[in-house]
Amino acid sequence: MELFIQQLVSGISIGAIYSLLAVGYALVYSVYNFTNWAFDGFMAFGAFMAFLAISSALEAPFWVAALISIVLTVLLAVTSEKLAYSPLRKRKAPRLFMMISAMGVNLAIVNLINLFFGGTFRKFPVDNLQPIFIGNVSVGRMDLMAGAISFGVLALLWLFLYRTKWGLGIRASSIDILTASLMGINNDAVALIVFGITGVLSTTAGIFFGIKYAVFPMMGLVTIKAMIASIVGGLGSLPAAILGSMLLGILETLVSGYISSTYRDLFSFFFLIVILLFFPNGLMGKSGDEKL
Amino acid sequence: MGYIYAIIILGGINIIAVLGVAILTCYTGLFSIGHAGFMALGGYMSAIMVKEFNIPFPFALIIGGTFAGLCSFIIGYPAFRSRLRGDYFAIATLGFSESIRLLLNNTKTIGNITLGGAFGYMNIPSHTTVLAVIVCVILALYFAHMFVTSQYGKNSISVSQDEVAAQMMGVNLMKTKMIALFISAFYSGVAGGLLGFYFAYLSPSFFSITKSSDLLAAVVFGGIQSLIGPFITAFVLVAVPELLRSFAEWRLIIYGFLFVIVMIFRPQGLLGYVEINMSFVRVFWNKLFHRKAKTQEG
Repeated sequence: MELFIQQLVSGISIGAIYSLLAVGYALVYSVYNFTNWAFDGFMAFGAFMAFLAISSALEAPFWVAALISIVLTVLLAVTSEKLAYSPLRKRKAPRLFMMISAMGVNLAIVNLINLFFGGTFRKFPVDNLQPIFIGNVSVGRMDLMAGAISFGVLALLWLFLYRTKWGLGIRASSIDILTASLMGINNDAVALIVFGITGVLSTTAGIFFGIKYAVFPMMGLVTIKAMIASIVGGLGSLPAAILGSMLLGILETLVSGYISSTYRDLFSFFFLIVILLFFPNGLMGKSGDEKL
Repeated sequence: MGYIYAIIILGGINIIAVLGVAILTCYTGLFSIGHAGFMALGGYMSAIMVKEFNIPFPFALIIGGTFAGLCSFIIGYPAFRSRLRGDYFAIATLGFSESIRLLLNNTKTIGNITLGGAFGYMNIPSHTTVLAVIVCVILALYFAHMFVTSQYGKNSISVSQDEVAAQMMGVNLMKTKMIALFISAFYSGVAGGLLGFYFAYLSPSFFSITKSSDLLAAVVFGGIQSLIGPFITAFVLVAVPELLRSFAEWRLIIYGFLFVIVMIFRPQGLLGYVEINMSFVRVFWNKLFHRKAKTQEG
């Protein structure tokens, strides 16, 4: 029973990391109808910047390092938007082109990190990693922190989207970007805010993922899981993305705890296939596709 | 000379795999970043066929390709049924290829066949010669050309243009996509087989996401709805990093920036919509032998 509860807590924390990523994807997807493949590059970049801020001559404390890396990643995200996506958006290019462009950004970022810092696995330098004991159950401090902060960030995002004028603008753009701009919403500003938000989300996820496992250039591959989670939940909706992520995180941790950790990634893929066979639109998905 | 042969062989293998991706991506509009997985399936299968069952090399390649094609239904059927498109189909294929790699990494033996897990499958008989590769490339190009000019190819193009309109014209979406995926996986499987018979060794690490990115790069640079474009870029992208060794570690970074630049300035790719046209051969032939040119042909 103790083992089960420990696995559950660990699963919730990994699910929370996935939901940060999945929500980022869903946000870009709902406004611009393409998947921001550069997300895993941002995630690795954020984690590396935080790692460098702590371990380099700067020796920044954890929170300062997190803040620095968030600022830098937001800058990177906004720059990539300006350079790689904005010209395509202005030309109303098909979404396939946006996707390839995003893949290009991702390839460049990940391999630049690989070139400059090498592909080795690094331990994220944080102290105070002793688990907390609640009764007989030991719970990782970082698991709790990852879960709490991720949900905090998601709650802030919700407040931003549903309680501010800017959020209203983004939601309007997600319904129809052309009409929204006719109503006086600045498309460029919306793009900057949306990509800025994805920068914050991916860095937070990157730092916690780095603490939980390791910091390495290919760490962004974990975003496949977030995409799988958003397909499982149902495409293009933020609550569905969170549901899918939590489900995937918990099930995956239980599999690695009780069966074998090598088959954890395999499991998530088979989970996707099974879900698609029985719920073609995802668990919470509407059949929004045009059907004849 | 051996070095030139090596480049021709590796380039030819890359061409076959890229033609497979081109059929799926450029003609059917389905984006795959997981074709390395199909290469791995085909490669291991055909290597097992030759090494353990003594099946002749050409048949083993066909068996490997067919096996990869059949395995593609595992991902194809659920994905097409739920109408996963664009980005999400790409994720599904990426997940598939990563799972294949993981499975091979952790499979030491199947029955009494030693696959070697992460160490790789050793001592595969070496059959791939320059001649074999050239023959395979010519056949692959010929069949790809036949496919895209056939009714099935036209169905595929219509699906890539507009699924709803294609369906209204009576195109069976599921069947069209499945056929395109099968052929594309078959090509990748054959390429994987040739790779195994060339190196006499197969390792799961050959078939990582980097391999899939390479295949995709050739298709993106080569051009949409063209076979000759990806054909050229597939060879160039193998030959250039081979010749400029110091440039090798910058390769993927440059690909990344080129993706963005190509999309912004020339989204149709190098030779987008340019089709291989063999009519000049016929004209030349007719001139050579003073025959009457048949105008209704071509």
